[in-house]
Amino acid sequence: MLDFYGLSNLFATVTNLGIAFLVYTKGHNSKLARIWTLFTLCVAIYGFGGFMASGAKDYDSAFFWWRLSYVGVILLPAIFASFVYTFLETKRTFFLNTIYLVTAIVWLANIFSKTLFIGHVTLIFTDSKWFAPAWFVYPPGPLHIFHTVFLYFILLTYLFLRLVLAYKNADPLKRTQIKYFTIAMVLGFYGGGSSYLPCFGINIYPIANITVPLYTFLIAYAIIRHQLMNIEVIIKKTLVFAGLLASVFAILILPTLLIQEYILRGADTGSRMAGLAISGIIIIMSVRRIENFLINITDKYLFQKKYDYKELLKTFTAEVLTVLELDKLVNLTVNKLTDIIKLGSAAVLLFNEEKQHFNVVAAQNIKDSSVTLIRPDGIVTFMDETHGYVLMSELREKNISIPDSIQEIIDKLNAEIVIPMVLHEEVIGVLSLGKKKSDENYTQDDLDILLPLAKTLAIAISNAELFVKLGKTQAEAAQREKMAVIGTLSAGINHEICNPLGIARGQCEAFLLNLKDGLYKNKTSEELIEKAKSIMVKVIKETDRATAITKKLSGFAKPSKGEAEIIRIDKELDEVFGLVGYELRLEKIEFLKNIQKDISDLFVDKKQFQEILFNLIRNAGQAIGEKGRITITAREEGRKVYIDVQDTGSGIPEDKVKQLFNPFFTTKDPGKGTGLGLFIVRQVVEKNGGRIHLKDTKVGEGTTFRLEFPVPAREGLKVN
Amino acid sequence: MMAKPRIVAIDDEPEFIDMIEGYFGLRGYEINVAVRGAKGIEVIKEKSPDVVLIDLKMPGIDGDEVLKLIKSMNPSPKVIFITAYDDGGKTRARLLKMGSYACLDKPIPSLRDLEATVNKAVSK
Repeated sequence: MLDFYGLSNLFATVTNLGIAFLVYTKGHNSKLARIWTLFTLCVAIYGFGGFMASGAKDYDSAFFWWRLSYVGVILLPAIFASFVYTFLETKRTFFLNTIYLVTAIVWLANIFSKTLFIGHVTLIFTDSKWFAPAWFVYPPGPLHIFHTVFLYFILLTYLFLRLVLAYKNADPLKRTQIKYFTIAMVLGFYGGGSSYLPCFGINIYPIANITVPLYTFLIAYAIIRHQLMNIEVIIKKTLVFAGLLASVFAILILPTLLIQEYILRGADTGSRMAGLAISGIIIIMSVRRIENFLINITDKYLFQKKYDYKELLKTFTAEVLTVLELDKLVNLTVNKLTDIIKLGSAAVLLFNEEKQHFNVVAAQNIKDSSVTLIRPDGIVTFMDETHGYVLMSELREKNISIPDSIQEIIDKLNAEIVIPMVLHEEVIGVLSLGKKKSDENYTQDDLDILLPLAKTLAIAISNAELFVKLGKTQAEAAQREKMAVIGTLSAGINHEICNPLGIARGQCEAFLLNLKDGLYKNKTSEELIEKAKSIMVKVIKETDRATAITKKLSGFAKPSKGEAEIIRIDKELDEVFGLVGYELRLEKIEFLKNIQKDISDLFVDKKQFQEILFNLIRNAGQAIGEKGRITITAREEGRKVYIDVQDTGSGIPEDKVKQLFNPFFTTKDPGKGTGLGLFIVRQVVEKNGGRIHLKDTKVGEGTTFRLEFPVPAREGLKVN
Repeated sequence: MMAKPRIVAIDDEPEFIDMIEGYFGLRGYEINVAVRGAKGIEVIKEKSPDVVLIDLKMPGIDGDEVLKLIKSMNPSPKVIFITAYDDGGKTRARLLKMGSYACLDKPIPSLRDLEATVNKAVSK
């Protein structure tokens, strides 16, 4: 026959310890959670005492275990009262203090007196068909009766009444919490209360005691789904662990019981051991499956509905909001939001200045990503004017009819909530989130985090946009500077173009004038043709010469593609020299190249690398003025390439050294430089992963600038 | 009619100096040429020309130095610069101040003009 009462109590001990552990680990910062932990520990004491007492071998041990059981039980109504008052945010009253005092007296009486509380215990249900005989308190002591009547039934009924009254005035979330909590507690208390019946001589087997372990499941559910006790975060593993423990325990008990009761038909040690052994095997064989099953269940039904606010915030502050690439930023936003909140769909729309509408820049699972919102659209006007969100479930609840045009947009976006991203009083974009996969509505808690998030996103997006603009401005400045520098080269370039033109023109003109002046009279026509031919060959040669430099010039003036590629230092240097060389030669500046053999190629933007060299060589040339030497040395050392640009120029005075890389700093005559040269050179160098610094300078002797570039990681990269 | 002026032309561009030599030579001028400044100075000293045509920018000794040297000579020939170097007129002003007779840009607008300038230089 089954010791159902004892086993239900054992089960209660386990589940209550489980929930005590869960609540305490997750919510010990909340007063409610601490009270609740105490409550469940007391229930666990009750369960364990009841389990031991009911199946005790003799009167004395049954008596002892019941006393122990009541160490927990007596405290329950007072703790519950404390919980209800805290939960309903009612002030601690004289009433509550009285309860504590009375409880304390009864509790001490149970500890110190054998007669005042427990009185006696009796073995009953000795002739039950189904259930094993069990020890119960009977007849009880006077304080036991007092406890049962006043603290248990009257006080509890009063507290439940308070909960029911509070339910009517609570907000929706609190309402749901109260609902689940009250149902769970009514079940737990009154079901568990069935074990008081034998104490009053009513010998009905307390089957209802099975609710004592089961009410914890309702509480756990309310915690997870409705943040009961303000516990926001539940770690999956904890729950899985608790569930696993309970299941293993159930499996352990069931076969043991079945084998013991129906197969071996005896309560001796041997049959218990046999039962345990079989259970053990079953557990070992199924534990992995049970764990997976539990993980699936919790993921599917519990955690889809609850997401980790802290994780959301952490992810966004650490990984998303700091991203400066607009494209990456919006895509991360969509991905992380869908991932963490477990959304069916999501999209970010940004205002497009050019087209004057909002269009989708990142999306997941939306129906039509070509959807655009224009300013006069109802939904945009609404957000423009209120800066408020549009939550579909709220509109439905309030029976607000949605115009078809808005409904169409909402449908295309697959949206459940549309939140404006506002910056400086202006809607710069729209965050559109779909339904949660759980089908649960967005709560106030969700809004409390999503609305500020949308605001912060607006800032991040505007930062990213500014960064793009800044990049453009920098590129434009670099280009302007390049053109300005080319301007200062004009003397050299002019010289190089006009010389061949002078030859071509002169040769042709001389021939024509000689012809006109009759100076070729004595020449035969063959001779004249030969003469003309030789002139034409010269003209072609000289024209080609002039064309070559214009080609170099226009090639250099082109803006860079903004892509890094493998370049050979030597080759790039020659190309740059091809352009600055004329100027240097005119000024009688010697140019020396000293490049280490087999030096690694660099992975940089080719045009930008040329610009860097061009600027430095050009600066060196200007520092020299006339007659001098520029030496370029390149060598590799420890995965780095060092390029020194050394001149025999005027040097930089000490007081100017610090300002060298400042914008608009220049020592050149007006018209010779904008002063952006080195400032931009440094930016371009750093953009290409390198560094630049002044290596050495001495007034009257010269200056050396050093460039430093990393050797690209891939071995064997060579320009073909 | 006055005898045609005797000319020395110095330019580092052989094709250019070749063309100048041909033009003036065919028209009965006594013209001597050089493609280096140093060689040019030798020729000037040897021939004592009336007019010297010089390029400004040349490897080695350039037009500037040749001009200085000519100015120290007595009698000193007239100096006409023919150059592709243009820095916005600064150098031209300096050369004229230093006593050159004229500065012409390459390409020369017309060989006839050059011839006229040469003749004008010696007519005074």
